[in-house]
Amino acid sequence: MSTLRIAWRNLWRNSRRTWITAAAIALNTAVLIATFGLMRGIVVDMVRQITLLSVGDAVVHAEGYRQERSFFKPIPAEVASRVLAASEAAGVRAAPRAFGFGLVSSGSKSSGAMFWGVDAAAERRAFDLPGRAAEGSFLSLPDERGGGRTYLGRPVRELVLGRKLAKTLQAGVGAEIVAVVQAGDGSLGNELFTVTGVLGGVGEEIDRSAAFIHRADFDELFVADGRVHQIALSARGALTDAEVVQRLAAAARGAELVSWRALLPAVSDMTRMFDAMMWIFALVFLLAAGLGVTNTMLMATYERIREFGVLKALGRSPWGILRDVAVEAWLLALSATAIGLVVGLAGSWYLWARGIDMSSLGGDIVVQGVTMNNVWRATLVPMDVVGPVVAMWLACVLASLYPAARAARIDPVRAMTHV
Amino acid sequence: MLLKIAWRSLGRNRRRTIISATSIGLALSIAVFFVALADGMYAKMIDTAVRMQAGHLTLEHRGYRDTPSVDLVLRGVGAIRERLARLPGVEQTKPLVLGQGVAKSSRDSVGVVLVGVEPSAERRSSPLVDKLVAGAYLEDGDDRLVVVGDALASRLGVRPGKKLVLTTTDVSGQLVEELLRVKGVFRTEVDEIDACLVHVPIAFARRLVGMGTDEVTQLGVVLADPSAARGLEAEVGSWLRGGTAAVLSWKAVLPDLAAYIQMDGGSNWVFQGIILFLVMFTIFNTLMMSTLERQREFAVLLALGTPPGRIQLQVLLESFLLALLGCALGLGLGGGLAYWAQVAGLDIRALYGEGIAVSGVMVDWVLRPQLSAGLLLGLGAAVVGATLLLTLWPIRRIRRIPLADVLR
Amino acid sequence: MPGPTRVCLLACLALNAMPLARAAEPAPRSGLSARELLDHVDDLYRGASAHGRMSMKVVTEHWTREMKMEFWSLGKDRSLVRILEPKKEKGTATLKSGDNIWNFLPKVSRVIKVPSSMMGGSWMGSHFTNDDLVKESRMADDYDFQVTFEGARGGDEVVEITCVPKPTAVVVWGKVVVVLRRADAIPLRMDYFDEDLAPARSLVFDGVRVLGGRTMPTQMRMQPQGKPGEATEVRYEQIEFDVPLEEGLFSLRSLQR
Repeated sequence: MSTLRIAWRNLWRNSRRTWITAAAIALNTAVLIATFGLMRGIVVDMVRQITLLSVGDAVVHAEGYRQERSFFKPIPAEVASRVLAASEAAGVRAAPRAFGFGLVSSGSKSSGAMFWGVDAAAERRAFDLPGRAAEGSFLSLPDERGGGRTYLGRPVRELVLGRKLAKTLQAGVGAEIVAVVQAGDGSLGNELFTVTGVLGGVGEEIDRSAAFIHRADFDELFVADGRVHQIALSARGALTDAEVVQRLAAAARGAELVSWRALLPAVSDMTRMFDAMMWIFALVFLLAAGLGVTNTMLMATYERIREFGVLKALGRSPWGILRDVAVEAWLLALSATAIGLVVGLAGSWYLWARGIDMSSLGGDIVVQGVTMNNVWRATLVPMDVVGPVVAMWLACVLASLYPAARAARIDPVRAMTHV
Repeated sequence: MLLKIAWRSLGRNRRRTIISATSIGLALSIAVFFVALADGMYAKMIDTAVRMQAGHLTLEHRGYRDTPSVDLVLRGVGAIRERLARLPGVEQTKPLVLGQGVAKSSRDSVGVVLVGVEPSAERRSSPLVDKLVAGAYLEDGDDRLVVVGDALASRLGVRPGKKLVLTTTDVSGQLVEELLRVKGVFRTEVDEIDACLVHVPIAFARRLVGMGTDEVTQLGVVLADPSAARGLEAEVGSWLRGGTAAVLSWKAVLPDLAAYIQMDGGSNWVFQGIILFLVMFTIFNTLMMSTLERQREFAVLLALGTPPGRIQLQVLLESFLLALLGCALGLGLGGGLAYWAQVAGLDIRALYGEGIAVSGVMVDWVLRPQLSAGLLLGLGAAVVGATLLLTLWPIRRIRRIPLADVLR
Repeated sequence: MPGPTRVCLLACLALNAMPLARAAEPAPRSGLSARELLDHVDDLYRGASAHGRMSMKVVTEHWTREMKMEFWSLGKDRSLVRILEPKKEKGTATLKSGDNIWNFLPKVSRVIKVPSSMMGGSWMGSHFTNDDLVKESRMADDYDFQVTFEGARGGDEVVEITCVPKPTAVVVWGKVVVVLRRADAIPLRMDYFDEDLAPARSLVFDGVRVLGGRTMPTQMRMQPQGKPGEATEVRYEQIEFDVPLEEGLFSLRSLQR
């Protein structure tokens, strides 16, 4: 105990030097924490754009559905209900969807489109997509809908368009859309819809061709009798994609359950690659910060060679000196990193809340068909905080040991007259 | 004279000098390398995209960007091309006729984007020509031949030599169709291109849609030196004033690519900035401590009558030399590494496997950093400047050294 | 494929099924050259104007559907088709005029224009394609042909003509084989092959009787290759030729009525 107290007092004997050194350590720690936060933010953002936006951690399809996305290959009904029940139990949110291709026409413009028959409540629970409407809003919830959503006083069937599709049709909120499709019984399905929302940039496929409608409307339009082509599953960050697959594998027997990484291998590769790059960058940063701290500690300790000489002359053993220095360094590191931690966390919080706005020429950043977020946010993970702190401690202690070792071995007389 | 003193002073405290210079050097070399790497990557992406599409600068009808339509044409193309060819820095011009249509075979029919090209211009500049997996690319003089992507070819069940019927609307809105034979199949690994794009000879395209021989949808200008783009854009813009044509930079034609580069580049600079900041702070620290340490030395000098200003100047010079040392190390190491990588190329196939598509462009497997004098000088000057600035604070104290106390 | 397109294409099919609008003429006899036979097949399905009713039954892997339609056609490029049955789609109409196709959807009371990109592929889920119904060219012009068999087959005296498209003909097939009854040049079947000469689909004619003053096959059945059980069957129930039809009938306004 007294060792600590002595160490602490020693630190403050030359307060200026101590402050300067502490500042270096604190700043380096803070910057490291914030930087790691930013770097991790990129990877996390990429993965989130997929898992939280609309794809999910894992997806269930009927066997063989993925190749041609045939309307006539739905998930067997028993499997679908089993999966929905199991996901509920496992704390995973599920969004069942039906898909069908058809024609949408607005005024004189028309285009092919992929209709998504969705459960608005389930989508809102499980995914962020409903919150990404650039104009208007996503499909309303059942109780809102009540006797039918109204637009300008008239009850309407809601339709939400992908960004580029809306542009092709030159249709905005309030526009009337005629949907014409080949229904499941071969007949001609047609219905009027009103655009109640236009999405922002979400991903190539959705932007270009998606038209979201209520499940009930889809069934009527396509004579689909409740069939489900896809169940998208999201644990909202509580579980990894592998865990989701593992927990629901049994329930999904009879259909195909794949993680998003199997669905989008190219994007998955990219996130792994970024992860790897992050390690390299992290190393580089640690090096830079470590060097900085080392430099400071070295000088701080070298200056005291005279002092060590005196101690030695007074009978302190070399090991004793070393230990003293180590404790001092560690104590300094502890306090300084504590400050750095607070500052770093504050900075990270700011970067998480506000982020850095990278939006620009009006274009979207699209990587492998997935639209990235324009705002760069930090994500903090315990490891990202512990790492820098421990690294700084090590750097401090090691850096101070070298000169101390020299002092410990040097002839006291030489040390005392050291300039 | 002062310089020599400054230099010797650095030499006296070799350890500190080496550590400081090394810190600066390492940080700088990292910054140089990674910025050069990113620059190289972006330059390649832009190069690939503009060569495959409509050049660094694109001339088209004013209204085309908002409502693309086959009847919005550029006229008097021959004369414009000649004029453009005489501008310095123009590598070549490439005419394009664009339209939407349907390609049919006995198996299926698919919506396609029709691109009428001048084969010789494409062969000289477009990377697409090297990406053929079957058959051959178009040549000047070809008529009813078409080059398609492999995804399209497999969907239609065609291969080189097989038939394809192309339907599209002409300038007056009529439906027209023609028989074509597949000459080649390409694979760019970008889905949108492989499944939708078809290249046909421009003369054929003009005939099909009813455009005159001196008309095109777009005229692309490929520059030998991309940095000349802005100046040329302004100049060509002045030629076109008052007419129906407009000139656009590739950023307006490919906004997604521009956005990606801006984001990626921006984040890169942020990281490099952080590293340099860390190092600079360390230098600052070092300077603070060393001025403290050397109080005695300064005090002696002051007592001997040296003007404080001279001492400050000496310290500044020391910083300057230190920074130069660090720069030499950093620029040498970083620049050297970047140069080696530029020549040898970094093959990232091992990391990526398939390769990635960003904003419709395939990222090349082989990364080549792009060093530029501007980058090296800029970073070097920034470091030296920052070091000098940082020295200003610690040397303030030199004036206020309490001589009597220090020299006790 | 959206219904309107199909209906329109069906109209074109109806158009194709029109014999020449002239007084009943004697059926061609054997002794006609191959060219004349091919022209006869083409003209069997060309007309100046026509009005009639037909039914179509489509059987696919996933569903079966029957429709009854009324059609009008004027010349080669104008036609109007209205669905009469089933009740769900009654009143749906398709207008083709020149290169444009519009659909009227009674349920939502709207007219939409069908984009050219959606006009390719199967027509109304049937096994006919847009081409089958819009085609205006003559087989004898687009193909090089040759009689490859004359004699008895399946109880009839038949003539088989093998047609290979000319190098510049705007046709996706590799080969088409036409089999006609020698006595009256009534087509019995047409087999379509792709460029590798693998069978792609078959069109079989049946129900030869007098309709609207002409002797013609009133039934056609299109069968795709490789999809057993799938087929589209078209049956003509009533036809009148050379009826006076106003141009105004083929307008967007009349489409909506």
